[in-house]
Amino acid sequence: MMSAWRTTAVVVCFLAWVLAVASGCSLVGQPDVAAWDQKARQAVTDAASEVATARLAVETARDDRTWSSYTTVVVAQAEEAMGTVQDDVSRLQVPPGRAQDADDLEALLDAASSAVQDARQHAVAGEHDDRDLLDRLDRVGERLTRAETRW
Amino acid sequence: MKRYFAVLLGVLTAIGGFVDIGDLVTNAQVGARFGLSLAWVVVVGVIGICVFAEMSGRIAAVSGRATFDLVRERLGPRMGFLNLVGSMLVTLLTFIAEIGGIALALQLVSSVNHVLLVPFVAALVWIVLWRAKFSAIENVLGLLGLTLIGFAVALWQLGPDWGELAAGLSPAEKPGAESWAAYAYFAVALFGAAMTPYEVFFFSSGGVEERWTPKDLGVMRANVLIGFPLGGLLSISIAACATVVLMPEGIAVETLGQVGLPVAVALGKVGLAVVVLGFFAATFGAACETGLSTGYSLAQYFGFQWGKYVRTREAAGFHVILLVVTVLAAGVLLTGVDPIMVTEMSVIFSAVALPLTYFPILVVANDPDYLGEHRNGRFANLLGMVYLVIIVVAALAAVPLIIATSMGQG
Repeated sequence: MMSAWRTTAVVVCFLAWVLAVASGCSLVGQPDVAAWDQKARQAVTDAASEVATARLAVETARDDRTWSSYTTVVVAQAEEAMGTVQDDVSRLQVPPGRAQDADDLEALLDAASSAVQDARQHAVAGEHDDRDLLDRLDRVGERLTRAETRW
Repeated sequence: MKRYFAVLLGVLTAIGGFVDIGDLVTNAQVGARFGLSLAWVVVVGVIGICVFAEMSGRIAAVSGRATFDLVRERLGPRMGFLNLVGSMLVTLLTFIAEIGGIALALQLVSSVNHVLLVPFVAALVWIVLWRAKFSAIENVLGLLGLTLIGFAVALWQLGPDWGELAAGLSPAEKPGAESWAAYAYFAVALFGAAMTPYEVFFFSSGGVEERWTPKDLGVMRANVLIGFPLGGLLSISIAACATVVLMPEGIAVETLGQVGLPVAVALGKVGLAVVVLGFFAATFGAACETGLSTGYSLAQYFGFQWGKYVRTREAAGFHVILLVVTVLAAGVLLTGVDPIMVTEMSVIFSAVALPLTYFPILVVANDPDYLGEHRNGRFANLLGMVYLVIIVVAALAAVPLIIATSMGQG
């Protein structure tokens, strides 16, 4: 029985190590340009996904194909995920020569976040029939799609 | 007539019970990112779960004894304990994910944050585990889970270019922007989602509870060989809906609400309501199955009284385990951990733990002392060995892929 417990302890320690590695428990390092570019690209892709989610949710609600709480939950979760994307980017150390890019990225993510926040406010208020909101989400979505090829 | 009804009911509940939170999320994620280029993995996984469940069901019907009891006796306490630990960790993780999934499904209709719903959901699951009849849990929730057929109807209603969709089935159609490492990670995750160990423990323990005999082998095989493949078609429908609606929009699936959006687009409110009912039934059914599986596993290994057909007082230890794991699952979810992340972990670690649960079943299914004339034949052994190799490869690849792709992100 003792040996069985030893086996269990080894398995548990191994799983803990795997979880630690998988969740990003690593040493803090100076990000190089390529790493920053890769993270910027990922942030833009993630933001584009959240904007597209909000847009699809608002559009289906406008067509009376979802009920209010469903739309609100989907858009609110997109807004929350947008916040996570912005937080992750704000924690990145900008490498030399990338200050302007970092400002542009921050501005783009702010615009995306603001559009999704607007969508959530409309969803909570039950105002789904707003063409301006859909146009705004479209414009931000197009900017994000263009930005995906920049980095 | 009664026998045909039993077969039909068994097949229908097997279809409805096949899909759980892992299948819902993983298939939608894969469909939105990789199109149908990973659908072949669902086929491989479904054949694998058929092989695994058929062997376990046959062991239960012929020996009349529970899986862990036999594994400990045949392979010794050490191997039995390793098997127990591996399957318990994964089943517990899946149980947490399923309870989270029920809360997420209820959030979609109430807009109340899922964390606030968790205590009520956990209490409801525990009451059902304690009070409801085994057949009621299996049949009612399995049949309600059939409402997920809404995904197949939605796909038909969306009217995709079927030729283009079929062409996307080839692995060569992997989107260029996605790496092969991410492709391999999701292949392992899909395989883990299709071959979750708890399904087999629940199935075979249920066989012991319902006192299957060799006469029931035909019905058991019909349930497995018809029900599971049709359940696999539901999984592919979920992926196909995501491919048609979410992929062109660049939407990556991270929430249960996103999984249902293609149905809203295709079928509107009524179709969406039917599918959300399916989310609830599939996750509730799977929560009951995983909860019972943890109780079955521990009670069978340590040899104390277990089962839904035994009076609560006589199987007190079994019911205490059910209570403890339910409280533990609720406690984990109340920390605010994302149930979708728990789901992603549960499917990938299912693949990691599979050899520990599959290998002993293969050994016992080959042992004439236990199964006599019903032991594995040549074909069953060939399939069994092929799947042992696939399972070991998937298990060995899982951890490096988790690290290399940051859980499928890269």
